[in-house]
Formats: sequence, structure tokens, C-alpha cells
Amino acid sequence: MRGNLVIGAVLVGLTVVAALVSFVWTPHDPTLVDAAHRLAPPGGDYLLGTDKFGRDTLSQLMVGARTTLYVGIVAVGIAAVIGTPLGMLAGMTPRGWLSELIMRVNDLVFAFPALLLAVMLGAVYGAGTLTAMIAIGVATVPAFARIARAATMQVMVTDYIMAARAAGRRGPAIALRHVLPNIGSMLIVQASVSFAIAILAEAALSFLGFGTRPPTPSWGRMLQEAQELLFSTPRLALWPGLAIALAVLGFNLLGDGLRDHLDPKLRRIRAER
Amino acid sequence: MRRIGTWVALGGLLLSAACGGGSAATPTTATKPLAVGFVAEPANLDFTATEGAAIPQALLVNVYEGLVKLDQDGKIQPLLAEKWEVSPDNKTYTFTLRKGVTFTNGAPFTADDVVFSINRVKSDWKLKIKSQMDVVDKVEKKDDSTAVVTLKQPSNGWLYSMATRLGAMFSRTGVADLANKPVGTGPYQLGSWKRGDSIQLTANEKYWGTKPQVPQITLKYFKDATAMNNALLTGGIDIISAVQAPESLAQFADTNRFQVVEGTTNGEVVLSMNNSRPPFNDKKVRQAVRHAIDHRALLDTAWAGRGQLIGSMVPPTDPWYEDRTGDYPYDVAKAKELLGGKTHNVKMRIPNLPYAVAAAQVVKSQLAQVGITAEIDPLEFPARWLDVVFKQGDYDLSIINHVEPRDMGIFADKSYYFRYDNPEFGKLLASADSGTEQEQAADLKAAAKLLSEDAAADWLFLFPNLIVAKKDITGGLPKNGISEAFDFTALTKR
Repeated sequence: MRGNLVIGAVLVGLTVVAALVSFVWTPHDPTLVDAAHRLAPPGGDYLLGTDKFGRDTLSQLMVGARTTLYVGIVAVGIAAVIGTPLGMLAGMTPRGWLSELIMRVNDLVFAFPALLLAVMLGAVYGAGTLTAMIAIGVATVPAFARIARAATMQVMVTDYIMAARAAGRRGPAIALRHVLPNIGSMLIVQASVSFAIAILAEAALSFLGFGTRPPTPSWGRMLQEAQELLFSTPRLALWPGLAIALAVLGFNLLGDGLRDHLDPKLRRIRAER
Repeated sequence: MRRIGTWVALGGLLLSAACGGGSAATPTTATKPLAVGFVAEPANLDFTATEGAAIPQALLVNVYEGLVKLDQDGKIQPLLAEKWEVSPDNKTYTFTLRKGVTFTNGAPFTADDVVFSINRVKSDWKLKIKSQMDVVDKVEKKDDSTAVVTLKQPSNGWLYSMATRLGAMFSRTGVADLANKPVGTGPYQLGSWKRGDSIQLTANEKYWGTKPQVPQITLKYFKDATAMNNALLTGGIDIISAVQAPESLAQFADTNRFQVVEGTTNGEVVLSMNNSRPPFNDKKVRQAVRHAIDHRALLDTAWAGRGQLIGSMVPPTDPWYEDRTGDYPYDVAKAKELLGGKTHNVKMRIPNLPYAVAAAQVVKSQLAQVGITAEIDPLEFPARWLDVVFKQGDYDLSIINHVEPRDMGIFADKSYYFRYDNPEFGKLLASADSGTEQEQAADLKAAAKLLSEDAAADWLFLFPNLIVAKKDITGGLPKNGISEAFDFTALTKR
């Protein structure tokens, strides 16, 4: 059970380290066009080779990790900041009209895939990293709202909430002091999984030309640019494809591992064993 | 949740694998219809009101015909006019029209239609290039099969313009819905149009001339170069009209299955600079840009070295071509000197087309070397780009392939999106148009030189004519793309 957590943490850690290091150092300038070294094979000066513009693949991957994490953090941040309070509100007033309204609007947003939303936003406000992040974030709000609502409803029937209510604490205080800390672990798991989905969505959007603008490196756009060279230089598609797959896998495993680690019920089962 | 996780992770791998493709060859069939792959589907079919190369490429020569046409050598040949006579003062053209020609709406083609079509350019057309018809003083019908055009002054370029879309002949009763229902005299007529997918042309049963070999042509539009390549590999189309990913040509190396035609076009890939606003209203900054770009490296990286380097707005297939690539050699130090230590931030608004996106990244990288920071903003083509850059002129730098033949004159129009304004240039063009053949060539050479020296724009490269077709297609794949049309009339499929 620990395996998931460790592998996930290592993969995510690698991505984060690559992104952080890229702020201070990359082997080469990732956007510098160098005709003399185009399509250089891996090894030597260029560890993973260069693309058709002569740009270093490793440097691009490192800066691409930055783009990926940036999009993930902002998108998941938007989703968590909007989704969690809404879900908690709905969960604390389960039979009220407000709860009903929130959850139906939630269903409505749920019906729009992140990609569609991003394409629509891109058409209106111009494609770019910002619109992609907002679209992915908005499309992920319902997932957070649902988790938060379900978890809040579980917590609301516990004895300590009864006690807090009996002591005369008001709704907002209960939400902050008692509900939020107790549903936090589930939100963290959700964040990790949503992060994986956001990475994939950003890659797909950049691949389609609705995401990160050229020449800012992005794994999705690296894949797209590798497309025409797939027959002559397949490695150009391999590296970003691998990076996307490993990062997504990492965040998913991390989410799974965290759930196993943080869920009290599972912890009890483990203890009994 | 674990299962979902695995699938999401798999998705990442699939994304990288999905771009593969290309299965074994399909057996050659005996069916005669042909499918041709294109990029950039036209938004409508009315080239009298909508800019862009896609509409004339599909319809000119095939659906619409003019009085004259261009042959493969760029010479003017008769089409709907059997012959024409030019008066000694070079101002009056008398066209003798072909008899027995009808439009696809059933109306006969007469001198009245000639008068109508030429006058309509002045009255109804909305294109920038319609100014090429300003030289016409009047058009008259002498009898049903004779039309007389009188020019205000002698013009060398006018008859040539008549071989382009400007000279297309329309029926007086067939212009009600040009956007959807083109009516011409050509060997093909519009069959059906599946928007977002394809346009079908069917042979015109009542065509006056040699009937085309292929009864039905499907023009299939692709958003994506790889999809188009795969369609040819798997037999979905028979011809790629213009290769959009030259790096991928290796896929078509099998000469038993494919033929590759390579030549030049009229398409100058222009790095346009907005001459009317800072920083590019300063000639020195524009010159710095021209010095800062290593054109050979750009062509090699962005377009796999296919194409030719040019230094001004004249392709090598025009008689007055001069090699101007030496005017601004790649010289970073010179560029910095011209900029005088200043740095600039500019917006590079490009169409989201493969060549433009590729070239823009090289231009950005090279301009960064001299202190010009260009932000790339890809706009959807054609609609958004035409609106923002072409119509409103809200840009600093752009990259677009100017495909119209003999289109240097667009620089003489100061409202054109280059916003280039040099009266001297206009004078040279006017003098070229009215002079003798020698004077014309000399003036146009001087005009091209002036454009280059003024750095009115930068010319990145000449777009190559790259056609890939199945082995069994014969008869009409042009080596050099000289005309605006993709001529289907001579094609055959064995």
C-alpha cells in the first residue's frame, strides 16, 4: 500500500524538481533556434537531442514541466477555492433550496468537458495559457463541490458537531473549525487526482493549438510539433509523451497513496491486520 | 479511483501514439472520381467579396472562366475570347467571343455578360485587388459576340489581371447567391458542399470545350497536415495540393506508389511590418529586422529547406525578377547598430497555419538576438486574422503567404495592411504599366529594389509548390504554381 505513495511522490517530485531547476539552469536556451544543430541525435552536448528548430529537447522538457505545474496549480486552485465552500454550504444545509440550487448548477457545469470549455473560451478571449487554466479550473469545480458536499454531510452527523452546535457555535465557525479540518484529507486526494486530469487537459489543449502559445515550451505542443517528424525522428514524440504519462501517473498514484494513508477507515483495517 | 487513474495515465501515452497511422496501400480502383486534399476551407464561395486564396484556388478555371487564361509558362492564352485585337495606341481591346457558350444556369454567354462582369468589379467587388481594374474607362458591346474595352491609359498589367480572378465571367442572372451557388461557364459546376469537410465539383455536361476526364472532384479540407498525409497514405485522397509538413515527405518516397512534384509558386511568405506605427514606422528598425533574420536558417528549420529565398515581392517566374537576397545579409552587429541600443516589444499576430507558426518561432528567436521581443499571437485563419490584422491593421509583425500573381502593387495602396506609404513607389508602378515592355521591366525592377531598400517588409522565402499524388494520376500536375487556380481539367486517373 505504501508503494503507490512512494512511486507517486517520486514521480511528482521529479517533475517539481525539473521545473524548479529550470528557473535557474537549463542545459541550453529552450527557445533558441539553432539551424546548425537541428535534429541532433541524443548524447554529447544535447542529452536528449534537438528538434527541427535545433532547440534542446531536455531544456524544453524542463521548462515544459514548469508550464504543466503552473497550469495544474492554478486550475486546481480555482476549482478548490470555488468548489469547496460551495460543496460545504450545500452539505451543511442539505435540504435547503440553496443546496438544491448549488448542486443543480454544479450538474450543469459538469456536463461541459474541460476541453470544450477551453475551446469556447479560447475562441472568445484568444487562446493562451490563462484561458486554458481558467477553463480547466472551472470545469473541475463540480468535482470538488461534490466531494466536499458528501464529506460534509458525513461529518455533520458526528457527535462533535452535535456538541459544537449544542455549545451554540454558529455555522461559519463550525465550517472552519470542525468541518474543514475533517474533510481536508479527502480534498487533498481530490486535488491530486484533479491535478493529473489538468495536466492531461493542458497537454491536449496545447496539442490542438488552444493552450500554451508558441514558443513557450509545453509538453503538449512538443508532441504536436513532433507529429510531422514521427516517421523520421520518432524520439521527438517519445520524450514529451513519456513526460506527460509519467507526471499523470505520478499524481494519480500520489492521490491513491494519500487516500490509503489518510482515510481513517482504511487505517483501522490496516491496524487490525 | 485507481482504475480511473490508470486510464488517465494511459491517455497520456495514447496522445503520443495517436499521431501515428498510415496503413498498407489500398488497391487502385477503376473508379474515376478524384479526391484532392487542401488546407483552409473557404468561409463562402464568393471571391468577389471575400479575400483569400482558397476560393479562386477551387473555382477559377474549374467553375469560372475568364476571357483569357494563363498557361504553364505564364503566357496569356485565349479562353472565352477566341481572339483579341489591341489598337495601335494600346488603349482599346476588341475581344471576339466564343459562340455557343452557356452558363450552368442555362443563360447564354454574350458580350452583355462581359460588360456586366467587368463593370461589376468596379461597382460590387470588395477586394483590395479590384483597383487593378481602375484603369478601365469603359466596356461596350459591339454585337453579341464582340466586346470592346477602352482603357484610360495604356496598361501592361491589365490583360494579365483579366487572367486572374478579376477577369472571371459572371452571368447577369447568376450572381444572386455567389456565396453558395457559383454560376460559371467552366468544365465543372458545384455539386455539393459539406461545410467543414469537402466541396464536390461535378463535370458540366454542357461544357463548350473538351470535357474533363474526371467526372467528379472532391476537394477535401484538412485542418491538420498529418491528417492530410495519412489520408493520402490510406487512400482517402489522391492528391495533396500543397504539402503542409515538408519534413514528412519521406513518407512518400516510394516511387511505385507516389509522385512528388516540386517547383515554385507566386507565394511570397512575407514578414509584414506595420509601417504606420512604432516601432516599425522607423525605417531603421525595419532594416534592422531584415539584417537580424538569417533567412537560410529560417527556411531550413521552418520549412525543411524547401522553397527559395527572395529579397523582394517578385517571384523568379516573373520576367522582371532580380535576385535581391543580397540587399540585407544576415548581420547581427549591423542590426544592433541600426537599432542604436534600443529594445522593442512587439506583437506578432500570425494566422494559425503551419508555415506561419513554424516561421514565427524562428523569427522570434532571431529578433531576440538584437533586442526585439516579439510576442507570438496565433489567430484563427481566415476569419480572425483577416479581421484583426488585414482589415483593422492592429498588429506590429505578421507572417502570411501572399499567393496572388504579380501582386507587388499591394504595396502602392497605403490602406493595405502593410501601411507602406512611398509615393515614389506608386509612380514607378504607374510608369511601368503604361510604358513599353522594356520600360515596364526596368520600372518594375526599380520598384522591387525600392521596396527592398525601404524594408517595407521582409521576405522570408518563396513558398514551394509541393504536390504529392498517387502514381496513377497524370495529365495536369503543374510544376510551378503560377495561376491562382488549381486546374483540375486535364487530370486523369488510370
